[in-house]
Amino acid sequence: MSRRSIALATAAGCAAILAGVAYAPQVLRAQQAQPPLPIHQVPQAKDGGVVVMLCDGKTSMEVKGLKTGESMSHAQAVEVTRELMAQWQREHPNEKWEIAQTEQAPAPMSYAASAAGAKAASKGMQQGDTYASFTERDYKIWKNETDNFVAEGKDLFHDGAALGGTIGVSCDMCHPDASNTHPETYPKYQVQLQKVALLRDMIDWCIENPVKGKALDPNDPKLRALEAYILAQRKGVPLDYGKH
Amino acid sequence: MKSARTLLLSFFAAAAVVVSYSLSSAQGPGPLADPKSENQAGFPATLYSWVIPPDNPQAPAKVALGKALFFDDRLSADGKVSCGHCHAPDKGFTDQLPTSMGIRAQFGQRNAPSILNALFNVTQFWDGRSPTLEAQIQGPVTNPVEMGMKSTDDAVAAIKAVPEYQKQFQDVFGHDVNFADIEHAIAAYERTQLAFDSPFDKFINGDPSAISDSAKRGWAIFNGKGRCMSCHGWNPTQPLFTDQKFHNIGVSAHKSDFVPLARQALDVLSKSGGGSEAIDKLAIGTDMSGLGRFLVTKQPHDIGAFRTMSLRNLLVTQPYFHDGSQVTLWDTIDHYNKGGVQNPYLDGGIVPLGLTEAEEDDLVVFLASLTSPEYADAAKQEYDLQFKRSRTDRPQRDTAAANGEKGRDGPGLAGPFGDIGPAQNLENPALLGGD
Amino acid sequence: MAARHKSVETKYMEERDAVLRGLRGLDRRTFLKVLAASAGAVMAKSLMPPHTFQLVEVANAAPDKSAATAGMAGQPPFTFAYVSDTHLYPRTLNQRFVRAAVKAVEDVNALDPQPDFVLFGGDLAQLGRREELDLGKQILAELKAPVKMMVGEHDWFYDLGDTWQEMFGPPNYSFDWKGVHVVVLMSVHEKDFWTARKMTPAERMHTVAGLDNGIQSRFEVGDDERKWLSDDLAKVPHTTPLLVFSHSPLYKYYRNWNFWTDDAEQVQAILKPYNHVTVIHGHTHQMLYNQIGNISFYGMLSTAWPWPYAPTGLPTLTVQMNRADPFDQFDGLGDGRINVRPDGLADKIYSLWDRNPVTVKADYLVSHGKTARPPAPQFASY
Repeated sequence: MSRRSIALATAAGCAAILAGVAYAPQVLRAQQAQPPLPIHQVPQAKDGGVVVMLCDGKTSMEVKGLKTGESMSHAQAVEVTRELMAQWQREHPNEKWEIAQTEQAPAPMSYAASAAGAKAASKGMQQGDTYASFTERDYKIWKNETDNFVAEGKDLFHDGAALGGTIGVSCDMCHPDASNTHPETYPKYQVQLQKVALLRDMIDWCIENPVKGKALDPNDPKLRALEAYILAQRKGVPLDYGKH
Repeated sequence: MKSARTLLLSFFAAAAVVVSYSLSSAQGPGPLADPKSENQAGFPATLYSWVIPPDNPQAPAKVALGKALFFDDRLSADGKVSCGHCHAPDKGFTDQLPTSMGIRAQFGQRNAPSILNALFNVTQFWDGRSPTLEAQIQGPVTNPVEMGMKSTDDAVAAIKAVPEYQKQFQDVFGHDVNFADIEHAIAAYERTQLAFDSPFDKFINGDPSAISDSAKRGWAIFNGKGRCMSCHGWNPTQPLFTDQKFHNIGVSAHKSDFVPLARQALDVLSKSGGGSEAIDKLAIGTDMSGLGRFLVTKQPHDIGAFRTMSLRNLLVTQPYFHDGSQVTLWDTIDHYNKGGVQNPYLDGGIVPLGLTEAEEDDLVVFLASLTSPEYADAAKQEYDLQFKRSRTDRPQRDTAAANGEKGRDGPGLAGPFGDIGPAQNLENPALLGGD
Repeated sequence: MAARHKSVETKYMEERDAVLRGLRGLDRRTFLKVLAASAGAVMAKSLMPPHTFQLVEVANAAPDKSAATAGMAGQPPFTFAYVSDTHLYPRTLNQRFVRAAVKAVEDVNALDPQPDFVLFGGDLAQLGRREELDLGKQILAELKAPVKMMVGEHDWFYDLGDTWQEMFGPPNYSFDWKGVHVVVLMSVHEKDFWTARKMTPAERMHTVAGLDNGIQSRFEVGDDERKWLSDDLAKVPHTTPLLVFSHSPLYKYYRNWNFWTDDAEQVQAILKPYNHVTVIHGHTHQMLYNQIGNISFYGMLSTAWPWPYAPTGLPTLTVQMNRADPFDQFDGLGDGRINVRPDGLADKIYSLWDRNPVTVKADYLVSHGKTARPPAPQFASY
């Protein structure tokens, strides 16, 4: 992380910590040898929102529409902290402070519009295309679906009988955590099959041979789930087809 | 390009006929001995380009000379055995004997492999002891139970004695008859013996009607339940039905008391710190022959291992395996089906297969579809003979072992564990609760 | 080294040529006689030129030059064999594991001379059931040499060792053998993870049987048994060689798969004062060895299934074996022997099925890899 982004994160973090929360005396008691630290008094909210305070103990602003206990979306938090920092800088014009880059190349998530409808993040950006219109909800659904699918595969991976195996052997016996499955090396000439294979071809071969079950149809959801689990274990590994 | 090649090949054929007619001491070997066209459905052009050695390129006159030598009995000590004697064109370039017979009616230890497609083999002989086609020739010529020449010098002398040969050698090689060039010429002839035009080749190259449904089922079994493909590998680049490697599939254990033999071999290995030459000599005509590849590499994991052979033209190259011990294709499949014959060095890939009778029949029909067209009639006759026999006579069949209901044949499995086998419809005990 | 690379086949042909050249000139009768002669006799005739084959060496317990090492001076070297990690299911379910266990027994019975004893390395059963342990006991009963049993987690966690102890006695014990003190540990104790989760015995066993579920506790020798070990060793002089048999590795290799002993450092501390300590362990199902301070560690092969090397933590001294071929039901598996030298150090022979055996010498471990390096694997280059 660059110094700038660390600065931004710290600002955001400070603001978040201080939102409506005073330092608890218990924490202070733990630091016995030190004199009591000043407690920042967070001003009362005037419009029913949540007051966010910067760590200098003075600069604060009220986030309208936010209720106590609710958390902001990332986009909203970015907006709020930006405001706070701008305020602080107006009051300390001679202080040196690096402005953190706000327009990083982010994961798509950071451009999602929240349910509260904040359009802040879309200012100055392209709009209207499919991949910009996905929401937090969408991402959560997708992640849930994918994780479920992978979890199904994990179950099957650990259960030879569910694959029709007849000798009590399951995939995880030879491949704990799907190790030594090297899915990133497919397509490759698979010696046991004597032809160029994809991952699912080898899965099927293993089901038939060491596991002694019946090979699954390539479109069988069980085979697809197994493939999903194996691939998921190798997240981040570079593709290297043909490697033996 | 291709037409030029075809033209060249017809030159080979014509030249071969002329030369062989004048030089051979017996009747000509017939049209089945002629060089084969490359215009075959499954011909692997890329592989072919890899296997022609730069120091022995093909040339029509060389091929013709090689053919003459191949069928020339003068290369044997008693003047009665030529290469063609054990590698007869009308018998798929084998002799259809369990093990070959050489001079003075002596029998060797090994079944004669076919010359067809031999140019593509990474090594020659059942144990791969020869690195090239050229080098292979010296073996039988000087082997006392095969062609029996005392030395290659004697072979050269026999050929040199024929003026036509002297002229041919000068024309082709630019010098006198010598053994290296004898090897070059014969190898060049052997490299014209191609077999890629079977019904299967036509099928796999796009004609769905080229083979029967039974053969197609057999092909599926070959790739799946039969587990054949893993060693008898076929792919378009190398369509040979062999992985060119060496495996102990338990054939030696049929006949020889394999375990003490293997132990003796290991003993020699450990005590003498080598003993390679000693083992080598024992391979030439003793029961050590069953040790196979071990005699070449001296590696313990090669004990009893023999080369995976091609599966083409099996119905004209019977009987089967390195010792010719199996008479029909059903016998060979029965051997695999029951998990081979147990011995301490049995390849771990050999397991009971549980093939049904119908599946075995389909597999044989598939194998029959690997026959080159020039052998179609002979192969049909042999198939009918084998089929008839297979209905009544199945010495290798052991259905209980094939289905895993009992242990396999072989030493060491007597006693309480000779009957290991699974029952049907059992739950995975890992999921059993309570108890 | 030498000139261009020569293939096996070329070398073979060259040697054969040399032999036949040597034989030329003999009359036919002598020629045949020579052919028929035994290997030894032919060798004795010095008819063979030297050759260049690389051969597998059968390790023999080399006599220690500094034989004055106390503790084992004058004691003969000895060999013991092992069979480990058979993971038997009932034979009606899985015959492959039975066949493999029988194969190991056949291997050991074929050894000539017979080893002094056979160590069973743990995990006789797969799910700790009486039927499985019975089957294992039957198979091991076929061994000709005496058997020393060691327990693994798969034997223990169905009924917390009741059946095992009934059949095989106490899980940890010690004995002396030809000047060596041998300790057999129960090193797969686990802190209770099952009571809070209200697991049945079968569920507990199923959890322990899974390598990668992360629910079970890490293996340990435990306070009580470490105390037992200290007491047991109290009477053993530091110059006496030690052999420690353990199912878990007694060092920390890979936590996630329980290739791990939680109190490894403490156990090693107890063993530290001894001059020569060799740990033989099971559980890891791979060719594996290590040296930590004065202790050599050798992992045993399994007969049931092989495991890949863990993503991290592999000891740098281990020269890996190539991964197993799943077409070959016995690849990556096997049994083996340990040759104990007169000085108390031990060489190990991995009798890998369907591969050449590999010998790992104590010299290699003790020198931290400077001498006697075991053969390297040939990884596929494509």
